[in-house]
Amino acid sequence: MKTLKMKTVLVALLAVSGFTNQVLAQQLTGREIIDKVYNLPSGDDQTSDLTMTLINKSGKERIRKIKQFTKDLGDVEKSIMFFQSPADVKNTSFMSWTYDDDSKSDDQWIYLPTLKKIKRISSDSKSDYFMGSDFTYDDLGDRKLDDDTHKLIGEETIDGVDYYVVESIPKDEEYMYSKTKTWIRKDNFIGLKKEFYDEDEELLKILKIKKFEDFSGILVITNSEMENVQKSHRTTMELKNVEINTGIPASKFSERMMMRGI
Amino acid sequence: MEKLLNKLLNYSWISMIVILAITIGFFLLMKENTRMETNLDKYMPQNHPAFIYSDKAEEWFNIQDGIIIAIENQKGIFNTETLDTLKQLTRKFQKFDEIDKADVTSLYTADNIVGTEDGMDVKRFFKRVPKSPEKLKQLKENVEKNEMVFGRLVSTDETVTVIIAEIKDDVFTQEFYQEILDVAKASQTDDIKIHVAGRPIVEGTMALLGPADMQRMVPIVILIIFLVLFITLRSFKGTLITLGVVFLSTIWAFGLMAAVNIPIYAVSTMIPVMLIAIGVADGIHLYSHLHTFVDHNPTASKKEAISDMLQHMWKPVAMTSVTTAVGFISLLTSQVYPVKYFGIFTAFGVMMAMVFSLVFLPAGIMIFGLPKAKKIDKEEDKGGHSHSKLANSFAASVIKNKYVSIIGTVVIIILSAFGMQEIWINSSFLDKFEKDSEIVLTDKFINEHFGGTSSLNLILDADGKKDTFKEPKVLKLVDKMQKDVDNQLQVVGNTFSLTDYINRMNKVMNADDEAYNTIPNNKNMIAQYLLLYEMSGDPENLNKVVDYDYEKLNVTFQLKSDNSKAINSALDVIHTYEDRFNDLGITLNYAGSGYKGLVFTDLILEGQIMSLILSLIIIIVLLSLMFKNIKIGLIGSVPIVITALISFGIMGFLGIPLSTTTALLSSIAIGIGIDYAVHFLEQYRHNASNTDDKLVAAQKTMAHSGKAIIYNAIVVIAGFLVLLFSVFPPNRELGALVSLNMFTSFAGTLTIMLVLLYMSNVYFKKKKINNQ
Repeated sequence: MKTLKMKTVLVALLAVSGFTNQVLAQQLTGREIIDKVYNLPSGDDQTSDLTMTLINKSGKERIRKIKQFTKDLGDVEKSIMFFQSPADVKNTSFMSWTYDDDSKSDDQWIYLPTLKKIKRISSDSKSDYFMGSDFTYDDLGDRKLDDDTHKLIGEETIDGVDYYVVESIPKDEEYMYSKTKTWIRKDNFIGLKKEFYDEDEELLKILKIKKFEDFSGILVITNSEMENVQKSHRTTMELKNVEINTGIPASKFSERMMMRGI
Repeated sequence: MEKLLNKLLNYSWISMIVILAITIGFFLLMKENTRMETNLDKYMPQNHPAFIYSDKAEEWFNIQDGIIIAIENQKGIFNTETLDTLKQLTRKFQKFDEIDKADVTSLYTADNIVGTEDGMDVKRFFKRVPKSPEKLKQLKENVEKNEMVFGRLVSTDETVTVIIAEIKDDVFTQEFYQEILDVAKASQTDDIKIHVAGRPIVEGTMALLGPADMQRMVPIVILIIFLVLFITLRSFKGTLITLGVVFLSTIWAFGLMAAVNIPIYAVSTMIPVMLIAIGVADGIHLYSHLHTFVDHNPTASKKEAISDMLQHMWKPVAMTSVTTAVGFISLLTSQVYPVKYFGIFTAFGVMMAMVFSLVFLPAGIMIFGLPKAKKIDKEEDKGGHSHSKLANSFAASVIKNKYVSIIGTVVIIILSAFGMQEIWINSSFLDKFEKDSEIVLTDKFINEHFGGTSSLNLILDADGKKDTFKEPKVLKLVDKMQKDVDNQLQVVGNTFSLTDYINRMNKVMNADDEAYNTIPNNKNMIAQYLLLYEMSGDPENLNKVVDYDYEKLNVTFQLKSDNSKAINSALDVIHTYEDRFNDLGITLNYAGSGYKGLVFTDLILEGQIMSLILSLIIIIVLLSLMFKNIKIGLIGSVPIVITALISFGIMGFLGIPLSTTTALLSSIAIGIGIDYAVHFLEQYRHNASNTDDKLVAAQKTMAHSGKAIIYNAIVVIAGFLVLLFSVFPPNRELGALVSLNMFTSFAGTLTIMLVLLYMSNVYFKKKKINNQ
């Protein structure tokens, strides 16, 4: 009953957006909008200091400071992270190689300084949460354009800025979200917020982009917050000292570097 | 007072209509507003420190009671059919509205973290149900190697596997339970059996079964009381009016509860029990007097007869009611709100029963007429001074053989004192069911295969000192305690806390070497393992065992029994670690429904014993004031004391544990004991003022009050013995204990109290104090 009602609403929304689309000079489809979002220039490599704050429902915080390096090597994206604090995990490092080829699963390694050993982690779950945060690896940009069916369902103006509202429904019915809704700036294709709905089509999480900065033409989100509304748990991610295209050598992403530290 | 009552007689129709109109009003209110409170948490005093802490801890760690669905296959569970059933059932339970998806745990949802040569592997045990023999064998091996699962989710003999679905406190309904059973039973096949157990099931079934059984039994109880009352009163009208008093007072009591918006708690079902036992007494005494008067004055008019009855009886009726009400009001000292309410509303009911006995009952007689006079043969030798031969000889023989009563009483008191030592308190729910009931057998079955169906949560609290539970020495102590409790006690099936994760991670990171199944010595190592677990496992799991700042730890002990002895034995072993934890700046606290039940039962008993003592003192004072004699006060309290002592003594001997209902029964001892004593004493005083012979006074009193007391006892005993045929053991205990209390009150009043009264010489020492 509930879902039926929801569907009617959606159909109505689609009709409205269809109408407005025709009036607009620029007629982008949902898929085209998302394609632009996914293909925003991001540079070949990036260095930054990440402060990740986990906040539970009683307001307690776990703050983690991480120095991170990422590099796009074409068919593989490599990243390496070094924990700076809290002190008891300092120099713990984490490396991941993500392949464009869907059939190839990510490679992940962890180095625990007290154990003085590098261990390979293999995990079969793509929906894994990133370091205990409210972000999954997918949420952080591991999603591919044609994993979902995208539909432009409306346009809104918030605080004087125009947005597209795009709904994305995963093609894989077993996927952890039943749909997402994204508000995307018309001028630069940066998202403002994104809503994630669980398999029962109930709102699960809200991602808010609080700040983005322009680094010589490359837009980088430097402050974002993901809130799991069902668990009242939040994660904020803040980037500082962002550097783009500094030419990080590919050899940086190796087990030897994990052990050596920064 | 007497004048007022007599005046009211002239307006009997009006009083009748007014009372009935108000009753209808209350009845409508009841229909409209009454709600049952079945959530047991609502019974607990919310401001008690133990409950405040427990409630907070339940919130921190998401501690909830779990429904356990056990899937049994005698041929072993590692086959496609059984595993498919497990998967399908897990998914069905995850879809229940009443259950959070994340709160369903089974082999299907669990992560298997294993160590490999070069690293660590985090995988579900299975996602697709394995079909090939190799894959099934692989799964079997994986389960056997993972002690966080083996013995917890899969029994060690591999014939049973469980799904645990945690639910919130207040979602359990009959429909929900039925739905669970339907879903579970639908998956049964020739090979696969499904069992459903767990505290929510037990608690919920009990909350439903008890009142349902009462609903079945109460009409029969009332019918029997009606019949016996009819035989003793020799009058259909009298029976109706007397029972009418009971019904009206019950409706008013519950009506008032509805009016002030107080829900019906389980203990509130005891209110009608009290009112039946106490309420019929006034009617019987009034009718007894009326009969005697009518028998002796067959020509007297209705009005004369009723006036005489009121003149003689209003005082004892008022006195008994006031003392009984005050006795119940002493329950206000209890910290448990339902018990407080029980006290207040029973007291209100008792006072209303008094009003109805003095207004409604006379009005009824005015309207429906007097009972028929029995012809009395004045010539017959009665062997004494009253009109009843039996009463005369009984009173005479009690007095003659007074030492029998005294010695008998002393022996009974001594025996009871012995019996009382055996009394134990039990907060168990499961013990309230028949030993061979489905629910008990399922529980037993699961306890045989797994850690236990009940749990106790120990919360270790470092009082805000962050990262305490990353310290090796702290975790090692926790680990030692867990193993100690587990090894020492048969009743503790297993234990679970953060240490289990650390042990496992340490082992996994060292290539699954069993030698590393320990807490590492380095704090940073522990912190890094925890970070690793957060990154690779489900961080939600850790939230159930430790708080965000690592300053509070939740240790779960699985118990194979929910009775108080089991919980206390675990607490005893845990307490031996208290000093060592305190030295580390850590305090011990507890949480969970089992623990709260234990504290709650203690609270009820403590309150009950306090109020018993308090009401006894109040009653002695009131009686002394009413009769203007402290000796009377003491003598009058004797039946109460004996009734209470015997009641507890017999419970001890028969191994009936004290629980919320059985403890409240001691109130009945007071209510009834005081009734009997006051009527008897008042009659004795009245008779003593007309004679110099103590025996005459005794015999007359016996014929009048004694007879009424016996009738009263017979009526109520007959009624409550019906409960012995109840299907719900606590209701059987209730029936037996109420009957017992009635019997001892009556026996105590007519024997030892009479003897003491006789020997004390009150009313005969200084003759003619003159009672107006």
